[in-house]
Amino acid sequence: MLRPLSIAWIELKRFAADRGALAFGLALPVALFALMYGAFGQGVSFSATANMVDLDGGPVAAELIDRLSTFDGLEVEMLTEAEADEALDRSQILTAVFIPAGFSDRLETGEPASVLFKRRGSGGDTGQIVSQVVQGVAQDIAAQFEIRELVRSRLDGRGVPEAEIAATVGALMEQAGVAPAIAVEIRAVGEEQNVLDRLIPGVLTMFLMFAATISAASIIVERNAGTLERLLTTRLSVNQLFVGKFLASTGRAMVQALILLSLAFAVLRVGDAATFVQVVAFSLLIAAAVSSLGLVVAGLARTEDQATWGSVFLTMTLTVFSGTFVSVGETGVMGFLSRLTPNKYAIDAISDILAGSGGLAGQGPEAAILGGIAVVGFVVARVAFRTAQ
Amino acid sequence: MVTGSPSTHLSHEDSCFLTARGLSKSFDGALVVDDVSFSIGRQEIFGLLGPNGAGKTTTIRMLSTVLAPDAGDVTIGGHSVLREADEVRKTIGVCPQELALYEELSARDNLVFFGRMAGLGRREAKDAAAENLGFVGLLDRASDPVRKFSGGMKRRVNIAVALMSRPELLFLDEPTVGVDPQSRNHIFETILRLRDEGMTLLYTTHYMEEADRLCDNIGVMDHGRLIALDTPVGLKSAIGDPDEVTLEQVFLNLTGRSLRD
Repeated sequence: MLRPLSIAWIELKRFAADRGALAFGLALPVALFALMYGAFGQGVSFSATANMVDLDGGPVAAELIDRLSTFDGLEVEMLTEAEADEALDRSQILTAVFIPAGFSDRLETGEPASVLFKRRGSGGDTGQIVSQVVQGVAQDIAAQFEIRELVRSRLDGRGVPEAEIAATVGALMEQAGVAPAIAVEIRAVGEEQNVLDRLIPGVLTMFLMFAATISAASIIVERNAGTLERLLTTRLSVNQLFVGKFLASTGRAMVQALILLSLAFAVLRVGDAATFVQVVAFSLLIAAAVSSLGLVVAGLARTEDQATWGSVFLTMTLTVFSGTFVSVGETGVMGFLSRLTPNKYAIDAISDILAGSGGLAGQGPEAAILGGIAVVGFVVARVAFRTAQ
Repeated sequence: MVTGSPSTHLSHEDSCFLTARGLSKSFDGALVVDDVSFSIGRQEIFGLLGPNGAGKTTTIRMLSTVLAPDAGDVTIGGHSVLREADEVRKTIGVCPQELALYEELSARDNLVFFGRMAGLGRREAKDAAAENLGFVGLLDRASDPVRKFSGGMKRRVNIAVALMSRPELLFLDEPTVGVDPQSRNHIFETILRLRDEGMTLLYTTHYMEEADRLCDNIGVMDHGRLIALDTPVGLKSAIGDPDEVTLEQVFLNLTGRSLRD
């Protein structure tokens, strides 16, 4: 056991001695943390822009724009028709609302009017929300005009002044707003969902995977430098060499993961000290599993480039299939594929630990799967390496 | 002189430290080493010469247990590289053609690490590192990172690492490539001193004057075969007066003048 430990120790010593690699290796988790904090540390709220083109210029169009501008989280940007078309063409904006000429006049005279909603493709999630908001506000205004026409038609010929009709309709609309026929009650249950609780497990897993697989490629570097061959002429066995590389890769990934987790727990306060210890402990298992996968890549690769890009490809593929950042659900092809990735079990377990459901002791199945991946990966890597020799 | 026939050199194999019999190795169907046999006596410096691609390095890789031969066997100190690789590794040291060193680490750290891998204890490895760095004239630079060393100094550290296992047989694969005359001369003195202390050495080089100066016996390889095997004087005598003929003339006579990859 001493020789594998010596291999791991010398690897970490080399990492520490290479100031460039050290700075990059330590700065990476800090940079990743800063990105997460910048993106999510201040909470998440709806924010969108309604790009409006007013070709009408009338009072009803002005009222529509005015009401949209008072909607929470919605900012109204006024564009000319040419500006909006060009911005859509260049994908600078995904949606634009065109209020046609004569829009106000038609409504004033009781004729149906329309607004044009242009969008690139589906308009994106935000575009679809803006579309619904515009439709809601437009229908609200349309309802007001329908009521006014209805009242006017009922009072027609009775000598009621137009101003009195408008005031009556306005009062009725206001009353409907205060006491609508169907009220929607919004009741908060529990605390606001913390996006970081979902994000940290995914980022942590992806980060561990990058760190472990890339450092495992050191076998290729050693082969190119001649040190691997030199080691193979000593009393070191290939199994000892692989255990040493495995320990080094796992250790280096854990150093970087500890930095990331320490910052996340200290600054973002995603959990208490006990949770931190449990997350670190489970991260060790994740690092072991992904280190084995890194050794498989290193065992199969013939060049440093192949090893590096193989690691990147593996990490990105597993990240995408596992639904780290975009939910892939539990069913269907993607749901099935996600269950083939170690990431899913790592993310599920860390999420559970962070959520306080089950703790470390409750992650038995996930731990067993990751442990199995570590063992099988190690054996496959060993066989691949022997074939390469 | 023995050309293409190993029989003469194998006749006294009982007194030899290394004996290779019928070594062959192919890569992707190409025969790289073809039925090579030779032996090396104790405390002998054996030169293995040949043009690029002749099969020298592959032969050394088989002798040093890194590669398994497709056919044939080697015994070193009475142990088979095929069946007793661990025992063989206890007796050999390898100084590869590449500077097989961790450049970020100090010379001492390199030596101690490889010493530990060779089976030395921590204290033993530190003592051996100091001794071997002194042996190659680099004790005063022991704490400096290898990356700060000149090419010649790196070559000397490369040799010192190979000595950490206190080998009985040392493989030196082109140990003087890219070094200045001073460092080269220091390496020659080191090699002769090691031989005088009882070590057996297998030496490859493209510099014929080195082989002529250092080696007791020389084998010439080409296209994977051992095509000549004799003392430097014996090789030169085959084509003329050994005082007039150079080893380079012998080499070109044996391997031709066409360029190799």
